[in-house]
Amino acid sequence: MGLFSKVAPSIKEFGDMVNNILPDGEKELEQSPYDTKLGLDMARDARKVIAGKIKIEDFHKVYSASLISEFGDHFVSGPEVSKDKKYTGPKWGMVIDLKKCIGCDTCTVSCKAENRTPPGMSYNVVLETELGSYPNISVMNLPRPCMQCDKPACVQVCPTRASFKMENGIVAIDNDRCIGCRYCMVACPYGARSYDFGNGYEEEMTGYDEITSPEYGMDRGKRKKGKVPEGTVRKCNFCFHRLERGEEPACVETCIGDARFFGDFNDPNSVVSKLAASPRAFRLKEELGTQPRVVYLR
Amino acid sequence: MDTKAQLNQPIYDVGIKKRMNTLEKMWWLILSAVFILGVYSIIDGFLLQGMSSTNLSNTVPWGGWVAFYIYFIGMSAGSFLLSTLVYGFGMEQYEKIGRSALLSAIVSMITALTFIFLDLGRPDHVFNSVIYWNVTSTMSWEIHFYIVYLILLVTELYLTMRGDLIKLSKTSQGVKSKIYQILVFNKKEMTDIDKGKDRKLLKILGIIGIPLAIFGVHGGTGSIFAVLKARPFLNSGLFPIIFILSALVSGTALAIAIYVIKNKVQKKPIDVTMVKALGGMLALFLVIELGLEWYEFLIGSYGLQHEELATMKLMTTSAWSWSFWLFQMGLAMVFPLTILFVKKTRQSVNWILAAAIMTIVGVVGVRFNMVVPSLIVPQLEGLPQGNYYPNLSEWITTIGLLAMCLLIYTIGEKLLPIEEDETSENGVSQHE
Ligand code: SF4
Ligand code: SF4
Repeated sequence: MGLFSKVAPSIKEFGDMVNNILPDGEKELEQSPYDTKLGLDMARDARKVIAGKIKIEDFHKVYSASLISEFGDHFVSGPEVSKDKKYTGPKWGMVIDLKKCIGCDTCTVSCKAENRTPPGMSYNVVLETELGSYPNISVMNLPRPCMQCDKPACVQVCPTRASFKMENGIVAIDNDRCIGCRYCMVACPYGARSYDFGNGYEEEMTGYDEITSPEYGMDRGKRKKGKVPEGTVRKCNFCFHRLERGEEPACVETCIGDARFFGDFNDPNSVVSKLAASPRAFRLKEELGTQPRVVYLR
Repeated sequence: MDTKAQLNQPIYDVGIKKRMNTLEKMWWLILSAVFILGVYSIIDGFLLQGMSSTNLSNTVPWGGWVAFYIYFIGMSAGSFLLSTLVYGFGMEQYEKIGRSALLSAIVSMITALTFIFLDLGRPDHVFNSVIYWNVTSTMSWEIHFYIVYLILLVTELYLTMRGDLIKLSKTSQGVKSKIYQILVFNKKEMTDIDKGKDRKLLKILGIIGIPLAIFGVHGGTGSIFAVLKARPFLNSGLFPIIFILSALVSGTALAIAIYVIKNKVQKKPIDVTMVKALGGMLALFLVIELGLEWYEFLIGSYGLQHEELATMKLMTTSAWSWSFWLFQMGLAMVFPLTILFVKKTRQSVNWILAAAIMTIVGVVGVRFNMVVPSLIVPQLEGLPQGNYYPNLSEWITTIGLLAMCLLIYTIGEKLLPIEEDETSENGVSQHE
């Protein structure tokens, strides 16, 4: 009876079990038209690169000649990252078409669900104002996420650098560093920041406290009294955790009128770049010089 | 006649002494009771419930405690600047309030820091604000300035008292004498060379301290608010200067109040000339402040900017307007100014004391008006309008901390030789 056996397999035995089902590299490579030894050597050294024993540059130096002779010119091996440190990845931004927005608040609801924001906190709100007087009347809906400003007032004032600007354009908060002074909330011209007072929906909704908000892709386990992010400031981060796995922010995905567009402002051919160049485009409180990354179409 | 105790002996008769004792007992009793109540409220609110124990919200994230924090920062900077008249500029006529001004500067600073500490959402992260320095953050600079400033204040007070501490270490007995001995590093004699050295050091510290207090501590604290372009009402270059002026106002008022009340209770003679001079200073500061505020409002309203106008309207006409008209304009401006201008009242110590107390109370309103109204006005049309009054828990904590402030001050007065040796002042004092 295995259950009562005193002999437990050692870690090495587990390893052997895995090795038993692995294909034999040599045999597999034999079947390909290319050099078997080169493949095996490269695999061995690649492991060393990963373990940090060999520099990636040296790896390329050793193998580039044999690779070219084996695979021809269309495979030129070299270090993949360019030498200059300039960031070339995406710089995220959002365009919201106000003509398409019907003020249904779907974005607000989906944001709350996605980011599990407590009562009284909403990363995204839809501001409604009535313009004109009867009978010439119209309602303006203005969805307001965090603008992810390029010159963010909140980052400027944060005494601990807990609020900071990421290379991808998003303004993030390190809740483990934030002291909860709320200076950033006072400084943000768009009212985009909220303080986590530690309250929750547990009474109306069983399981609310089971997981903390998945923000920034961090798994913080259960939401508990006195545990971060309680006592710190939170805000929209363009659903950074969703971007990391290739999904759009929740508000963009659920918008029923397709009023929201999301993409890379670094790429001149992206939809958002093209829309932002439209004469309808404007940004909120442009005069403050915060340079928001959320562009509205009027 | 080398100790103060002996010197004061003839002034007291037995009856006064008895009355003093009961008075003092009550003072300790009431303050301790209030303080304990405050501690209870801190544990119950701040420690167990966090910020949800306050009336703060996402629209008004700063409230009473921030207001009291800048109130005490102002008190501290003001008191310190007053003390520099003595130690920095050698104006001997104010010698009598020199040490107590320094002590109240220290105590105010401690109180201010306690208030702002209570306002933090994560007190367990507080050291991050010292470890990680954000050079663009005014608050970050302030935190570092406060530390340096506090060290400077303590050093300065120590140097002014050193001679008397040495005397005390010889005359007192038991534990007290031990403490004094440790405080003076077992120094036995204060030579003239030592005295000269201390005086020189004090001068240097005073001179470093003045810019530190004006630009670093107080102008800097004003800048915490003035840099907020999201709040047009605060976002003006005049704001930090108004801040400094109201610091001078409250510091002077505090010095007057402490000096007069203390001497009245102890039935000691009051230096009327000095009190009058201080009253004159208070009036001067008030006038300058009034002028600056006039420009602040004039230029602010001239811009016709929506949020700025809304903030002013809120301050002057809303349900909160009593705090502006009664406290800021009345108690902290017009009433004391009138008292200090009318010939009859400005000659009387009692009236000057009344003006000082009014100012001290009124400046609380000034500080609230610096924090709350501009937060109530929403940043974008359609965002909710805020609403804020401190709740009971916030008030109890606040009053508890005020008691703490007075307690620390009294302990300081009791243990340390805060009052100048009387022999040196007999010549100048003019009795009421
Ligand atoms: S909108 Fe506010 S919170 Fe967001 S980046 Fe700009 S200043 Fe910061
Ligand atoms: S509340 Fe946190 S993020 Fe905001 S300014 Fe303070 S430390 Fe920075």
